[in-house]
Amino acid sequence: MVYQLNNVSVNYSRQTALRNVSCTMEEGKWISVIGQTGAGKSTFVQVLKGLIPHIDGDYLIDQQPVKRDAKGQLKVIPEIGFVFQYPEHQLFETTVFKELAFAPKQQGMSNQQITKSISKILPQLGLSEDILPLAPFQLSGGLKRRVAIASVLMMNPKLLIVDEPTAGLDPISKVALLQLLKKWQQQVNRTLIFVSHQMEDVAEYSDEVIVFHEGCLIGQLDTRTLFLEQSHLLEKIGLSLPESVQLLKLVEELTGEKIQVSSCREQEIFEKVIPVWKARRLQNV
Amino acid sequence: MLTFDHVHFYYKKGQTIINDVNFTIQAGEFVSIVGANGSGKSTVAKLIDGLLLPKKGTVKFQQLDTTNPDELMKIHQQVGFVFQNPEDQFITTTVMDEVLFGLQNIRVPREEMRGRVDTALRAVQMEEYLEAMPHQLSGGQKQRVAIAAILAMQPKMIIFDEATSMLDPQGRKQVLSIMHELHDQGMTIIHITHHMEEVLSAERILLIHEGHLEFDGDPFVFFETMSVEKYQLQLPFAVRLRKTLQLDPPFTVNWKEGIRSQWSIN
Ligand SMILES: Nc1ncnc2c1ncn2[C@@H]1O[C@H](COP(=O)(O)OP(=O)(O)OP(=O)(O)O)[C@@H](O)[C@H]1O
Ligand SMILES: Nc1ncnc2c1ncn2[C@@H]1O[C@H](COP(=O)(O)OP(=O)(O)OP(=O)(O)O)[C@@H](O)[C@H]1O
Ligand SMILES: [Mg+2]
Ligand SMILES: [Mg+2]
Repeated sequence: MVYQLNNVSVNYSRQTALRNVSCTMEEGKWISVIGQTGAGKSTFVQVLKGLIPHIDGDYLIDQQPVKRDAKGQLKVIPEIGFVFQYPEHQLFETTVFKELAFAPKQQGMSNQQITKSISKILPQLGLSEDILPLAPFQLSGGLKRRVAIASVLMMNPKLLIVDEPTAGLDPISKVALLQLLKKWQQQVNRTLIFVSHQMEDVAEYSDEVIVFHEGCLIGQLDTRTLFLEQSHLLEKIGLSLPESVQLLKLVEELTGEKIQVSSCREQEIFEKVIPVWKARRLQNV
Repeated sequence: MLTFDHVHFYYKKGQTIINDVNFTIQAGEFVSIVGANGSGKSTVAKLIDGLLLPKKGTVKFQQLDTTNPDELMKIHQQVGFVFQNPEDQFITTTVMDEVLFGLQNIRVPREEMRGRVDTALRAVQMEEYLEAMPHQLSGGQKQRVAIAAILAMQPKMIIFDEATSMLDPQGRKQVLSIMHELHDQGMTIIHITHHMEEVLSAERILLIHEGHLEFDGDPFVFFETMSVEKYQLQLPFAVRLRKTLQLDPPFTVNWKEGIRSQWSIN
């Protein structure tokens, strides 16, 4: 499915949160959304989910305008999976089990199937069955977030939107989640919209990056182009580069040598940069 | 200044959430608490602040015991706590009232209040949002307001429970430098975080593992000697790089300057 916004603006009473945003999100991609605090990222993804009833401009899915009610207001789009920036906003059942069973039940899955899928999803998120009878509020911050993500994956969404899904996760759980999301996205060839402040994660996993600044979409580029060739765009709006890219640029600056890399993944950058650094440092002695 | 003496805690009988934890934090220290999700970090924070009381053992802040209600009042006046979820902290309808609320609670003189509110909001760059509703802010703006509300109270110690998790890279740096400024002025800082780079600038690390204090010491020793993956943690970028380049430790504090100086020495 292709999701498209044409000249979309969102006005809140105090301010304009999105200004004339136009973009197209193709199927089968990991698209990251970045920008400073208050830039409009969460507003943008809430528009995609149909959570903001009144928008100016057009929203199309597969070229078809999204359905509106009699008053012209958008409605929540059920096929889109959405994980809120604060997981507390979506955990409303009395136990973790009910929370995870909610979406599949609505989709008409049998109890037996539900129990089976729950047993499958828990280990993928590093969660133990012991938490099933607990109330969501009894979980620690990071566990709550993982339950929120699990419950959305249970609905097998067509498009998955995750707003800062790694905030509050310990480092190993974070990597596990990112790999799980990548696997999901590639296996079913669907689109993932990933809002994040972690430039390292964005550089490591995305195909494409959308950049917001003060409510405007100021760029939609492939990840390598953004971080390696158009990095001035990020510097201009005060977003830092991933540390591995900073390393690459520093060694390039010190050696005066251009180092060719095909991606901005940390492992590749280390592999290409370290030999140059070591060789040149020895020559200098 | 702060002492945990054989502290045990559980939410429900039969559980063990905090298991025989002992440590002392001196006035003016900068301590980071790390550990896996669900290991007990926030629970320790709430025990410090007296929001939770130990089932066994004692928690004392400057000789004040958290289990004594009169003393607890005094602890609240001196310990600030920035919650993991800022929404848990909000009770009023405007950003200004949110900051004022804490000041009223600790009986700050009226004429001093407005100045403190402005200074605190300016420190986190939220001065333009005085009249905004806390619940209608963006995720990172909420975190900034939650931090400002505690800064304004000028406590002796602040516990930051993952207070930078939703901030952009620049915002994170700003808040971290606020923490270090306060520390330079003598405040005691307890910083709970999953960001290993932030931990490098602390004076001391406490590692919580399944409710137990597993490590208490210097961050560099921690990353050099512990198998951190066992505790769901990772080495910070600078340490990974240092190990790959086989350079000496001072490099880790600021790896960019480290590389530059290595280059010019040779
Ligand atoms: N419900 C609302 N009512 C009024 N203003 C709002 C509302 N939600 C957001 N805003 C404002 O709109 C702007 C954009 O907010 P948004 O939540 O989209 O930012 P963001 O890019 O997600 O930021 P963050 O990284 O901090 O989460 C902010 O200035 C915010 O204060
Ligand atoms: N109100 C509660 N009732 C019952 N159990 C709870 C409650 N709050 C926390 N717990 C449990 O206590 C344990 C420790 O939780 P705590 O919030 O201290 O972890 P944490 O180290 O802060 O984790 P995180 O990094 O995810 O924030 C967890 O297993 C959690 O599920
Ligand atoms: Mg947001
Ligand atoms: Mg916690």
